[in-house]
Amino acid sequence: MKKERKIKTRSGFGIVLVAAAVLEAISCLMYFTSRAAIKQESEERAKTELRKAELEIEMHTIEMETAAKTLSLLLEKHIDDPNAAYADTRLAVSSLRENTSLAVAYIPDYFPKKGRYYEICSTRISPDSIHTRQIGSAEHDYTQMEWFQNGFVHDSCWWCEPYLDDSGSETFVVSCSYPVCDKEGRIVAVVCVDLSLEFLKTKLPNYLQVYPNSYYSIKSSKGEDIVRVMDTVPGKKYSLFEEEIDATGWHIEIVIPEEELFADLNRIGKIVGLLMLLGLVILILLVVHSVRTVRKMLDFAEKNQRIEGELEIAQTIQMAMLPKVFPPFMDRLDLNIHGMLRPAKEVGGDLYDFYVRDNKLLFCIGDVSGKGVPAALVMATARSLFRSISVHEEDAGRIVSMLNDAMTENNEQNMFVTLFLGILDLKTGEMNYCNAGHNAPVIVESLKFKVESLEVLPNLPLGIEAGFPFQTQHTKMQYGDTLFLYTDGLTEAENKNHEQFGDERMMRVLSDPRSERPQQLILSMEQAVDAFVGESQQSDDLTMCAIRYQIPALIMRNDIQQIPTLAEWIEGLEIPTELNMPVNLALEEAVTNVMLYAYPGRNDGKVFVEFQRVNNGKQLIFTISDSGIPFDPTAAPEADTTLSAEERQIGGLGIYLVRQLMDEVRYERIDDKNILTLVKTLNG
Amino acid sequence: MNTQIKESGNQVIASFSGRLDTAAAVPTAEAVKPLLEVENKEIILDCSQLEYISSSGLRIFLSIRKEAATHGSKVIVRNINADIRQVFMMTGFISLFDIQ
Repeated sequence: MKKERKIKTRSGFGIVLVAAAVLEAISCLMYFTSRAAIKQESEERAKTELRKAELEIEMHTIEMETAAKTLSLLLEKHIDDPNAAYADTRLAVSSLRENTSLAVAYIPDYFPKKGRYYEICSTRISPDSIHTRQIGSAEHDYTQMEWFQNGFVHDSCWWCEPYLDDSGSETFVVSCSYPVCDKEGRIVAVVCVDLSLEFLKTKLPNYLQVYPNSYYSIKSSKGEDIVRVMDTVPGKKYSLFEEEIDATGWHIEIVIPEEELFADLNRIGKIVGLLMLLGLVILILLVVHSVRTVRKMLDFAEKNQRIEGELEIAQTIQMAMLPKVFPPFMDRLDLNIHGMLRPAKEVGGDLYDFYVRDNKLLFCIGDVSGKGVPAALVMATARSLFRSISVHEEDAGRIVSMLNDAMTENNEQNMFVTLFLGILDLKTGEMNYCNAGHNAPVIVESLKFKVESLEVLPNLPLGIEAGFPFQTQHTKMQYGDTLFLYTDGLTEAENKNHEQFGDERMMRVLSDPRSERPQQLILSMEQAVDAFVGESQQSDDLTMCAIRYQIPALIMRNDIQQIPTLAEWIEGLEIPTELNMPVNLALEEAVTNVMLYAYPGRNDGKVFVEFQRVNNGKQLIFTISDSGIPFDPTAAPEADTTLSAEERQIGGLGIYLVRQLMDEVRYERIDDKNILTLVKTLNG
Repeated sequence: MNTQIKESGNQVIASFSGRLDTAAAVPTAEAVKPLLEVENKEIILDCSQLEYISSSGLRIFLSIRKEAATHGSKVIVRNINADIRQVFMMTGFISLFDIQ
């Protein structure tokens, strides 16, 4: 059982462990899948936003480049006219969407009249107001400026590095340079268009702030910061996404801290983790609970099995104590006993027992209070006490007293036994008996002339009062009387309407002339009870025993009408089936002869038929005796069976048959009696 | 013991059922009296329900046989069981009757 317990506990925890492992595996899988998905999503998002930002920026840069190129073309047309720059730059700057400035700077001394430095700059301050002025001077030597120099180096638009503009507004500006060529293709001026990077601060965050705590930076091609929001913290993990602006060579970067990216996931993960833990705890509790329940169920089943086993043992004890073989005394013709005990589902404590010694039949029937193993044990005790005490006693009352004393000793459970005990002298038919609180048995006379309960004193059941004076009673059984013993399981058998079988019904069945022999009697009583009880469950042991004090011989009057009685008597002898016809026929012929010839003129003659089994049952001896006139049937001539029908005589057939059917036929005349002995030897 | 007699065309059928012992022989002898007068017919003794027969019963059969002979009738014994057959054998009755 301990091992079983261990296994149960282990398997219980095994379940929990497996469940935990599975849950853990699933949630890990989910977590990492989600992470990957989130990462991918962030990647795509960042890329999308970067593209949008790039387009936004390019929108501006392209506009500027176009303006620069257009201005250059215009200027090239008016390359000789220094004043053209005023109109052209005004025109160019007014076409731009944003308020900005652009300028054209000529190589030194291109227009000698205008001085060494000639740079015309148009600035649009508002849609209606444009300032145009010449800003080239020795102090403002544009030739040293990057944008001017760029115009010579590159023959396409070139964006310079961002720089803070002069006005001190903290805004970065980039300039796009484009050369202006004369008719010979020499670069004579450089157009410069300014682009304020203010929009980077206002517009781009809409795109580039992909996550609340992500940030972006825009760097120039040389690595200078144009826009910067935050610093990376060493030790933290980041995802970086980059895009390059082709026109300006800038790098836009989106930086997403991983903890930002997975912030929600981690939060959910923690919640799920907690829930899982909670779930596991619940699971553990359930497992523990169910293990306990299973244990309880197993214990219960075990207990049940044990109880079933005990009931079986109790029944075995009970059945072992009962007489089993019927008819019990094959060699005694003066006794015909038949009994039965049908236990109720729950073993009760009924018993009956009998045995013969010194030509006396000692018998008892009893009912132990209670049910189950205790009752069975008390029953077994009572039975062995009966056997041992009655060996040396001839008086029923004394035996019962001794039984009572033995059973009141050590009777802590206060179990008591009702009992009827009797001793029948088989020679005389005298019976002394003692009743201890049991049902009075019934005496059934042969041919049912009288069916009456035996008069009994109740005394007391056994086991109640030590030293109680049990009284012996006497009666005399006549040949053919049957003593019917029973317990209250018979009279108190209930049908589904809770009616009891009762004494009256019992008496009625006992009075039925069709059941003469004990076996028939018991059977018809059993059938009557079963029919009465119907489908209701049997609540108590059904016990009965019929003891018939028989005539050792069959006695008939010299009346051939008694021949059926002979047939019935023969049936009661229970001889082998194959001898039925020969014995019946032989006896009938012999007896008929006696009846017809032994008592001429008389009708009160008696014919006795006795039966003995000898030589280990191998020989059957029938003795037919009468006290009529001397008559030897063997002396009569036999019939001649070879004669034809016409010649055949009516008589002589009987004795002939007797001789044919029996192995030995003997006649003697002893003590004024005719004694005809017929012997049949069994084959085999 | 029960005896029934039926007439059917050229046949008279007597059915015996039960035990034809000495006691039963008395009423049976009475019951078969009509058979003793039957002329020029087939008397069938149907023994399919006959369990047992003793000498008294045999006597009745014999008397039927004898009377039939004088009245020009034929007696047929039908369906005797093994026990009765044995009795017929022992007593020589087997040759006195037409057994079917």
